[in-house]
Amino acid sequence: MKKNGRGIATIMFGFGYGAGFPDHSIASAEIEDEGKILIRTAAADVGQGVLTTITQIAAEVLKVKPEIIQIIPGDTHLIKNSGSSSATRQTFFTGNAVKEASEGLLSNIYHYASIEFRSNHVELGIKDGYIFRNDNPNNKLSYWELAEKVKESGDSLKAEASFFPRTDKPDPNTGQGEKIYVAYTFVTQVVEVEVDTDTGIVQVLKVYTSADIGKAINPQNVEGQIEGGTVQGIGMALMEEQVIKEGITLNPDLTGYLIPTSMDTPRFATRLVENEDSEGPFGAKGVGEPATIATTPAIANAIYDAIGVRIFDLPITPEKILKALKKRETENKIGKKEDF
Amino acid sequence: MKHKIRFTINGEVKEIEVQPNKTLLKMLREDLDLIGVKEGCGAGECGACTVLVNNKPVNSCLMLAVEVDGKEILTIEGLSDGINLDPLQESFLKHNAIQCGYCTPGMVMSAKALLNRNSHPKEEDVKEALAGNLCRCTGYKRIVDAVLDAVKKGGGK
Ligand code: FES
Ligand code: FES
Repeated sequence: MKKNGRGIATIMFGFGYGAGFPDHSIASAEIEDEGKILIRTAAADVGQGVLTTITQIAAEVLKVKPEIIQIIPGDTHLIKNSGSSSATRQTFFTGNAVKEASEGLLSNIYHYASIEFRSNHVELGIKDGYIFRNDNPNNKLSYWELAEKVKESGDSLKAEASFFPRTDKPDPNTGQGEKIYVAYTFVTQVVEVEVDTDTGIVQVLKVYTSADIGKAINPQNVEGQIEGGTVQGIGMALMEEQVIKEGITLNPDLTGYLIPTSMDTPRFATRLVENEDSEGPFGAKGVGEPATIATTPAIANAIYDAIGVRIFDLPITPEKILKALKKRETENKIGKKEDF
Repeated sequence: MKHKIRFTINGEVKEIEVQPNKTLLKMLREDLDLIGVKEGCGAGECGACTVLVNNKPVNSCLMLAVEVDGKEILTIEGLSDGINLDPLQESFLKHNAIQCGYCTPGMVMSAKALLNRNSHPKEEDVKEALAGNLCRCTGYKRIVDAVLDAVKKGGGK
C-alpha cells in the first residue's frame, strides 16, 4: 500500500569558520587596459557560482556592465589569500572583500578625477565607466583615460581590501559567546513523501523550502544551490552509506554507494527570504551547506507521518522500513503498547 | 599490435591506428583531443563519458575504440556548428543547468539521444533518459527543465 506523509524541519547555520579563527579574504580591483576592470581574488568557484556573484558585486559598485569585469583565477604568484571554498563563506567573505576593493577603486576614481576636473567629488557624476562634471556632462573621461593620466603621474588606479571580521571563542564553561559566527542562515523545509509499505521504497514527491539568505545576489544560483543541496539531503536520508569493515570501505564505487539520480529528484517550491540582517555584501549570507541540512530530518519526519514508525538510523533504506513495519505488526499482535 | 580503424567523428571521416585494448573514451581524449568527453568513474556507473555512436548513447569508458570501426560518433564538440549552439546547449545555459559542469557533456549527449528517438518527451521520459547520468551538484531539476524547454522550442524537431 502507498502511504503519504509530510515532515518539517528548521535549521539555523552559523557560517564561516567563526569561533575566533582568523578567517578572512583579500581582493583587489584595478583599471586594466582594453576597457576591462580586473578583480584579483583566489576564491575558488567549484560550480557554486562565486565568481558570477563577485562579478555582479564589482559591476554594481563600479557602475559598469558585468562584461567589463575580468577575474584573475587563483594563482599564488599574483593574488593573495581568499580562504577556502568551504564553510559556506565565499559570498560573505570574498564578496565583502571585493565590494570593499571596488569601493576603494571608486573612491580613487573620484579622487583623481576631481584633480583632473578641478572640482570636488560631489560635483562629479559617474555613468557606464565615464566620469564627468555634472555641470558639463559632455566633457567626460572614461575610467581608462583617467587611468592613463594617473599612470603618467607615476601612480596607478587600483585598490586592495580585506574583510577580516571579529568572531569570539565560546566560553569554555558556558559554551556562550557574543559573536561566535559572522551571521546565520535560516532554512525551513516541508517534505512530502510517498512510502510503499510493500517494498519499503520512499519517493520524495515535493520539497517546499523557505530560506533566509539575507539577499539573493543571483537568485538563479541560490535556487540551484538549494535544489542541489536538497537532493544531497535526500541521498543522506534514503540511500547514501559508506560501509566500512575493519578499516576497509566495502562499497568504494557508485554501484555500491548510491547517490540520487534524476529519478529521485522531487518537485521544488522555493521561497527566498531577503531579510538583510547581517554585514554581508548587500546583506547576502551563505547558502551552500544550509541548503542540505533540513532535508534529512524533514524526510525522517515525513516517513513517520506516513507510516507511524520512527527510524533513527540513516539512511532509511527499504529494508529498515520493512523491518520496522514488521516489528510493529508483531508487537500489535501480542498487544504490546506502542510508544510513539 | 595496433588496428587501423575508420569512422566518422562529428561529421568528419577519420582513420587512425589504435591499440586493441584502448577504450573509446581514451581514444577520444588522448588521440583526438576531444576533452569535452569526461571520465568520471571509468566503470560504466556515472555517464560522464556519454557520446553517441550511430545515434545511440554509449558509455565511452566501456566501449573499445576498435568497436567504432565503420561507425558514426557524435561528441559534445560536434553539437554546435562553431557559431550557434545546439538548442539543448542554449537551454542548459538559460536554465543554469550547470554548476561544476563535469556531468554536463554527458547529460547533453544523453538528452540529445532522447530527442533523436522521441521528439516530444514528457517529464518522466526525460528523467528516465538521464537516469544513467549522475550529477552531484544541481539536484537535476534545472537539467530536466532545460531539456523540456528545448523540446518546447522545437529542439526535438
Ligand atoms: S566514466 Fe564512463 S560511465 Fe563513468
Ligand atoms: S554540475 Fe557538477 S556534477 Fe553535474
